[in-house]
Amino acid sequence: MKSLVKKLANTNIGILFRNSLHFKPVQLKLFEKDYPISISDAFLWRTDNGYKTKFKYSDILNLFYKIKNSWVEFHFYSKNNELIKIEKVNDLNLSNELEISSKYLNNLEDYGTFYIYHFSENTKDLNNKDIISNRCYLGYSQNNNLYSFVHGNILGKFTSIYSNKTFLSDIVKTSLFQNHTYTIQKYFDGFDKNELFFTNPTSKTIKFSIESKNYELKPNCSLLVEIKNSIISINSNCLFFRPTIFSYKNKYLDVHHS
Amino acid sequence: MNFFYGISNNLFKSEIQIPLFQNRNFKKSNLKLFKSYPKNNKWILQEISSKKINDYFYILKNEDILSNEIFFLADETILNEFDDKKLKNFNNFTDTSPAFRANFKIYLNQGGFSSYQSEYPYSMITKKGTILSSISSIANSDADKNYVLIKNIFEEPIEENFKAYLVNYKTKSIEEQFEIKTNYTNCIEISNKFIKPEIFLITDKYLGIPMYVSVKNSFLSFEHTHPPHEYILSENKFLKVTNLKKEINEIIS
Repeated sequence: MKSLVKKLANTNIGILFRNSLHFKPVQLKLFEKDYPISISDAFLWRTDNGYKTKFKYSDILNLFYKIKNSWVEFHFYSKNNELIKIEKVNDLNLSNELEISSKYLNNLEDYGTFYIYHFSENTKDLNNKDIISNRCYLGYSQNNNLYSFVHGNILGKFTSIYSNKTFLSDIVKTSLFQNHTYTIQKYFDGFDKNELFFTNPTSKTIKFSIESKNYELKPNCSLLVEIKNSIISINSNCLFFRPTIFSYKNKYLDVHHS
Repeated sequence: MNFFYGISNNLFKSEIQIPLFQNRNFKKSNLKLFKSYPKNNKWILQEISSKKINDYFYILKNEDILSNEIFFLADETILNEFDDKKLKNFNNFTDTSPAFRANFKIYLNQGGFSSYQSEYPYSMITKKGTILSSISSIANSDADKNYVLIKNIFEEPIEENFKAYLVNYKTKSIEEQFEIKTNYTNCIEISNKFIKPEIFLITDKYLGIPMYVSVKNSFLSFEHTHPPHEYILSENKFLKVTNLKKEINEIIS
């Protein structure tokens, strides 16, 4: 009986109820699949307001598994989750970079999310329980100034390393109610402007509030929110909803995860 | 339990914002802020009383920070219980998920600044080991200067030199070596010629947190790197990382 309850409590429905009732809440849960998995963070790209974005990533399959000839695919989405572009990169170095400018995105000056997936046809050196996750580093440059770097901050989507064209999300868990609060451990005082960048890494609509304003973020969509207060609490129905922070003072910019 | 730290040198100034609340429970705590540093093989303990700016934050300015100091929250009973020979896990207030963090900012007199949310977990201070970090994963070859800050905290109050190396993974050779020390925020400069995919930073004896700084035209970028085991989430992650570290450590042995 006990093991049945435990099993039920760890199903998606069970986790949803646990999170809704604050009973042993679950923030993140990896899926067990019968294939090796490549997980991508939900990464932010910006080409609005003079921004460009640099993305630095490692060839994880070469470094840790000694698998040569693997490749990566980038999937770019608009802030409204419309697919903009897919780019495949072969011939990987141990460490690689990609510059995302408005020109690269068909002269689009906006923001959104993108994902990186690692693929290989090598079945000898991988087993079906392998899970890799490229957390990577993102640099943001405004008006061609020095890139301010930050690492990936939120597990977004995953797929099979054997390229089965199925892309799944919901590693980050949600609640039925807007009853989870995350307070950023930074004192936002003395800046000219602060922006929080949110992305929804789930297949559910995330409802959240900041500074008494309510927002809704549809699945895989993203949103920039300007804040005014020195201490910021985010009340939401998502268990792991941490924005990337852009703080401005004079001509300088600081980007970091929260 | 988490410890916090900054840096004091002639290149950068720093500031640390240490919160008095947990990120999932916004309630002010009555814990106090303490600092500790090694001197003559003993940990010195001091309470920091005047840096609380409101109910929710301590803010330490550059003049309050030295590179050999660590900061932590504890209640006053620590003054009686403190062991000057070994740091302890004093309380679990900072054992949270997501991790309890302090904002660690570096800045230049001319105005540029950059920060990240930092912490040094107690679990790291009880262990020896090696750092492995890919230089080109975050250093910027377009910058005027690149530095790596390496923070080590070890439980014993030792100030011991150890080595950091830049090694070439392809040629299996040492490109450069540096002497750094325990219980200190070390700073080493990385020449642009070493910002290549095959160059890795490793240490020979102690763990630490590598943080990368780039400087150009008074702009700064500051970010820590992921430990290698964060790239693999399956059960074999420690085996994979151990194998890679073994392979790279052979270059310096």
